[in-house]
Order: sequence, then structure tokens, then C-alpha cells
Amino acid sequence: MEVKNKYTSDNEDLIKPVKDYKLHLTVLLIIVISEYIGIISLQLAGISIVIMPLLYALILAVAIYVFKPITWIGEKQSNRASAIMMLLIGPLLAKLAIASGQNIGIIFNAGPAILLQEVGNLGTIFAALPIALLLGFKRESIGMTSSICREPQMAVVIDRFGFNSPETKGFFTVFLIGTVLGTPFISILASVLVYIIPLHPFAYGMACGIGSASMNAAAVASLSTIFPQYAVQMEAFSGMANLIAMVTGMYVYIFVAIPLTEWLYRKLEPIIPVIIKTDNEEREGELLNIESEFVD
Amino acid sequence: MKANLSIDTVLEWIGILVIFSIMSAIGNYVGYQYPFQESIVGMFILCLISLVGLILEKIIPVNIPSILYISLIGLILALPISPVSGVIIYYTSRVELISLTTILLAYAGIAMGKDLNEFKKVGLKGILVTFFVILGTYLGSALIAQGVLITSGMI
Repeated sequence: MEVKNKYTSDNEDLIKPVKDYKLHLTVLLIIVISEYIGIISLQLAGISIVIMPLLYALILAVAIYVFKPITWIGEKQSNRASAIMMLLIGPLLAKLAIASGQNIGIIFNAGPAILLQEVGNLGTIFAALPIALLLGFKRESIGMTSSICREPQMAVVIDRFGFNSPETKGFFTVFLIGTVLGTPFISILASVLVYIIPLHPFAYGMACGIGSASMNAAAVASLSTIFPQYAVQMEAFSGMANLIAMVTGMYVYIFVAIPLTEWLYRKLEPIIPVIIKTDNEEREGELLNIESEFVD
Repeated sequence: MKANLSIDTVLEWIGILVIFSIMSAIGNYVGYQYPFQESIVGMFILCLISLVGLILEKIIPVNIPSILYISLIGLILALPISPVSGVIIYYTSRVELISLTTILLAYAGIAMGKDLNEFKKVGLKGILVTFFVILGTYLGSALIAQGVLITSGMI
């Protein structure tokens, strides 16, 4: 059944997952539990934090893998699950695109805002690069902070810096963490920010389209729980922003984001050691303490 | 390019998408009380669009990712001028966007299991940077959108 040529790698990845009914039944169980619990809105000091079923699903799935209460979930299933995941993004995007097409009228009115907010993606460089440098990352930080979990950018980074470069390594770090933890993170972030920085729901709706399709869905759902009256518009705006980012994102990334990140890196990198020096001295002190404890 | 696409591959895609449809319809019934029959039709529509996108990526010799085809097909089919928009919008509205993400993350959790050590290696620092990347992008976009929306008098 398996024909050996260079194209079959995909097939081999997928041929078994379809028939792995135990894996699918486990996932189904996770979904039913998660959806049954439903959306929870926590009220904390006047801020409502929206917790989505997707967070329970993620935690349950990791727990099942780690603690193995269900014995048939092993490394094989883990590999199969990642092959399946890539395919499931399609229906999610289709659903977003339908929301955009359906509301094309509203989108035309908001056109300039949707187009220009893409520039806001560059905000990530200024917010995250200093943090990455302060945490001790070097060239990795360029790959880490210039991207927001989009597949086309991966190709650009590899092409530009090489597969084994620190930049690419940094990119994958953020890509991997962002793909898995980014979705629950943004769903909570979206609900909290509404209270801390009260911008118009439309503006936040457009911002939801920044990342992967699942991040988009999570952020919009979270906002819709708070502003049910704007749910339709927010879904449409975010879907369109996502689509535009997909089309233009790669070019903005090559011509603006990477050069800007490298420029900022050159400016900041020499300053950072001065700032964290004192911090390091303290840490060395701690290390000495630990060592002396070991001697004791 | 033909070698890229075998009947087997397409059948596997269909198999996974059908499984996904059934799961999603069950999820939508449990979480949002949508009728199972309507959700599953909605899911079949979404999956069909995805399937066409996936096939187009393989048979059109230009390097355009399937996600782009899928988005464009979905968009065009749902436009008010599209003759099928009514049907498509009705049935796909029986599938909650967020319910699809729940399924995706259930698989993601199991997929992540084997990479758990990789995550530990990067540790809290990597997670922190990732969160700032997301925060920066999200807030940057929202602030600009707010500015433009006010300038253009929409809000």
C-alpha cells in the first residue's frame, strides 16, 4: 500500500491516524467533557476573565498523555495527533472566511482600519524584543519576536538565516509555544484587556486576527461573551484581518519586520548587559549560597 | 506535480475530515444545543471547502498555501451575490467557531505530550517571551484600529 517515493512522507503520517479510533474516541471524550463544562466567566476585582472549553480540552489532553489513565495514548498517538492537527485548520479558516463574506458590507466600511491595523503587528517587536534580551536570549530573540506563529514566516526565517541558526531556533520556540499555549493565553488576555484598556470592541475585534486561526477563534469567542451585541461584526472583522495578514503578512515580514527587528537588536543589545549586570551578580551570589548548602 | 496527489492521500483527508465533522457536531450538541443533523451538514460544508483548498494547492503549480485557497473559497461562497450563500450561512451558523478550536486543542494537547521535555528546556523564559509577542501584536493592532476607526468616524 505504501509507495516509496519522496512524496509519501505525508501519506505515512496520515494513513494510520485515520484508523486510530482509540485516539479519536479519547479526543471525543475530552471534547464532550470540555463542552459540557462550557464557558466560565470569573469575576475578579471587577474584571471578568473568560475561560473557554478549549483550555480544559488542552489540559485534559496533556494530563491524559502524562498520567496515562488511558493506556493506549502513547508516543505514536502523539505523533498522529500532530499530523491530524494540521488538517483541522482548514474548516476553522473556512468558517472565518464565511463570516467575512457574509458581512462584506460592514467590512467595506471598516476597510481602512482593517488594512492599517496590520501595521500594529510590528508592535510586537517593541514589546517583546527588550524582554527577550533581558531574559538572556541573543540572536534567538530576532526570530522569536519578529513573528506571530504563521507558517509562511517560518519559510522566510529558514530561508534567510538557515535552518540551524539561532534565529530559526528562536522562531520555532515561539512558534511551538504560541501554537499550543497562545490560544488559551489570548482568550484570557482578550477578556482582561477590555477592562484594563477600554478600546472599542470593533478595534479589539480586528486585532483578534493577528495570529493563527485558532487564536483568532479563541479571542473572538472571548470578546463575544463580553459584548454579545457585537459578536457578528467582531467575527467578520477578525476573519478579514486574518485573511489580509495571510496575503500581505509575508511581504511585510520580509521588508519591514525583520529589518526593524535587526535594527532594534543592534541598538538594544549593547545596552542590555549593563542593565542586567547587577541582576547577574545577585544570581551568582545565590549560586554560591546553593553550593555552600551542598557542601554542608 | 501530479505525483504529489494520490487517491490515497485524498481518501485519508476525507477520512479525517469526516471524523472531525462527527466530533464537532457532537461537541456543538453538548455545548450549544444545536441539532446534530444541522451541525453535521454545516461541518460537511466547511470540510468540503477545506478539501477543495487542499487539492488546489497540490494541483496548481504555483506555490500558494492551501489556507489561502480555503479562505478565498469560503469568502466568495458566502458573499451576498453568491447563489448558495443562504444555505451555506444557515448551516455553518450551526457550527460554533470556538467549538472547532476545542477539538484542535484536544489533539494539540496529545501532540504536545511528546514535546513536553522540549518545552521544559525552553522553560518559563520562552513562554514569557511568547506571551509578550502576542500581547504586543494584539495591543498594537487594536490601538491602530481604534485610531483609524475614530478618524474615519465609524465609532
